[in-house]
Amino acid sequence: MIEIEQLHKVYGERVILSDITLHIGCGEMVILQGISGSGKTTLLSLIAGLEKPSSGAILIDGEPIHKLPDRFASELRAAKIGMVFQHFNLMEHLSVAQNVMVPLIPYEPQIDRVQERVSSAMERANIVHRKDQLASRLSGGEKQRTAIARALVANPDILLCDEPTANLDHANALKFIEMMESLHQEGKTIVIATHDPRFNQLKVRHRTIPMVEGKLLHG
Amino acid sequence: MFSSSFWHFLTLQIFKERHKHLTTLLLSILLLFLLSSMLFIASSLRYVVMETLEGEPDFVITRIQGGDPASTPLEWMDPLFDIYGITQITPRVYGRYFVTPKEESFLIVGVDPLEEQSQKALKELLEGIDIKHFSQGDTMLVGQGVARYLKAHYYYDGYKFLTPTGEFISLKIASLLPVEGNLLSNDMVIMPLEVAQKILGYASNEVRDIGFNVPNPDERANIMDKVASLHYDLRIVSKTEMAQRYRDLYSYKEGIFLLLFIMLLVTFLLTLYQRYSMVYSSEKRQIGLLRAMGWSIADLLRLKFMETVVVVMFAFILGVILAYWFVFVWDAPLLRQIFLGSENLPNFVSFPPVVEFSTLGSIFLLYVLPSLAAVMIPVWRVAITDAKEAML
Repeated sequence: MIEIEQLHKVYGERVILSDITLHIGCGEMVILQGISGSGKTTLLSLIAGLEKPSSGAILIDGEPIHKLPDRFASELRAAKIGMVFQHFNLMEHLSVAQNVMVPLIPYEPQIDRVQERVSSAMERANIVHRKDQLASRLSGGEKQRTAIARALVANPDILLCDEPTANLDHANALKFIEMMESLHQEGKTIVIATHDPRFNQLKVRHRTIPMVEGKLLHG
Repeated sequence: MFSSSFWHFLTLQIFKERHKHLTTLLLSILLLFLLSSMLFIASSLRYVVMETLEGEPDFVITRIQGGDPASTPLEWMDPLFDIYGITQITPRVYGRYFVTPKEESFLIVGVDPLEEQSQKALKELLEGIDIKHFSQGDTMLVGQGVARYLKAHYYYDGYKFLTPTGEFISLKIASLLPVEGNLLSNDMVIMPLEVAQKILGYASNEVRDIGFNVPNPDERANIMDKVASLHYDLRIVSKTEMAQRYRDLYSYKEGIFLLLFIMLLVTFLLTLYQRYSMVYSSEKRQIGLLRAMGWSIADLLRLKFMETVVVVMFAFILGVILAYWFVFVWDAPLLRQIFLGSENLPNFVSFPPVVEFSTLGSIFLLYVLPSLAAVMIPVWRVAITDAKEAML
């Protein structure tokens, strides 16, 4: 459950987010739609606890992530939130498997256990056949699947995706959407920030919330 | 604290980003090599000088004329025998013999081989040499540099020394001084005391200086005052003062080198600092990404700290080993000139391997800690502020 209450975010004098109140239930799928600069990425970043709000509150399963000390906020993020980025943000010098293991390193002390979970996540994201390939040598679709495997490896309840199809061709974008539908059916809470109209044709139940100039048009 | 998965990831990071670390590593090795070589040479020289001074008398008296040392009358020994607490009073004859018409010179040292203090002072040099044969009066012991010089000038067995009165004294080479002592004995010619007196122009009742020992350290200041008051033109120098002079000489050279090294080090550390703070946006992005993946600031700092420790410690060990090899096996070509200066005769110096823990500690403090700080401070600054970099 994600609860956002009267959230404001200001950079200097520039208002990025204004009076955002949004409740996202467990297992819900929410599409934040808006043009570039509407504040979608900042909202995801605040939900993940990567930034502090100027005012307001964000609760993840009742925990105020914005108020937690770094160590606890990081633990909460590692355990409950998986992230997929517009530019995939893989570590290019590492292989697929090595990229996928990154979120587990601080929390899973046994390397054998890490490798088991990495294999399982790669299978779910259908990238296991490229596990030893360097990230820099992957196609866009493969990079995206690696990013999904990395987001799923700690088995988080929440997936935050920032413009996930912006750098994918049509076929790969549709595959990604299918994968999100499948994960939603497994019970994951999914928040996708996008301006891709293909998300309007999702086959699963979802809520689309337009964002304009840092405000939600309806929540 | 460091789990198997952490070590696995750490080694991956270092190995996979080896190109990024390579420049830092090579520069670190070079700087550590230079610093260690310089400190090793200085320690080795200090050790040799201090070892040599060990065999020197506690005090030396000389006559001063016009502010310069002059020949000292042998009769100055007599009142010394009357002062209680003084032992081993030894007349010493030594001086430079210039080989005309060139500028090369030999250091002539006259010894009484049967005299205890001389034996102590030259113990290392005279080891394995037939003293009985040497003391017969027409032979000499020569340093390696002197031997090479004589051979080059077709003097294979001996040399004819010209005295200030125009007389020639012919001495045969009894033996060469061991190569291990080259640092001190390269241009040295050791001969019986009386012969040295003649060659250097001393009268039979004159010597260069007179040495003596004072076994009781509490009496030294008192005896020094007594001896100083014996003659108005007497100058007395203690072994402690001599040791300090040598220490100052090498510390001065070490200091200049250290200053140059620190300038290099600061430039390197600034580059390192800049690299981790501003220039490398990829570094910032990686830090932001790891934060987004659930890594805490402490986890990140631990990773970057260990990455730097591995690189810097590897450079430290390799730099020190290379320096050891360069100084003590290769005898520090080029670099030794900084400490030894221009040689009178071409020398092949061997530095005795002396490694002090304080030297290694100095290298560690001068290099490893600043390098860690140069990386960790910018990483920490990025880690606490830029987690959102991952979203860009």
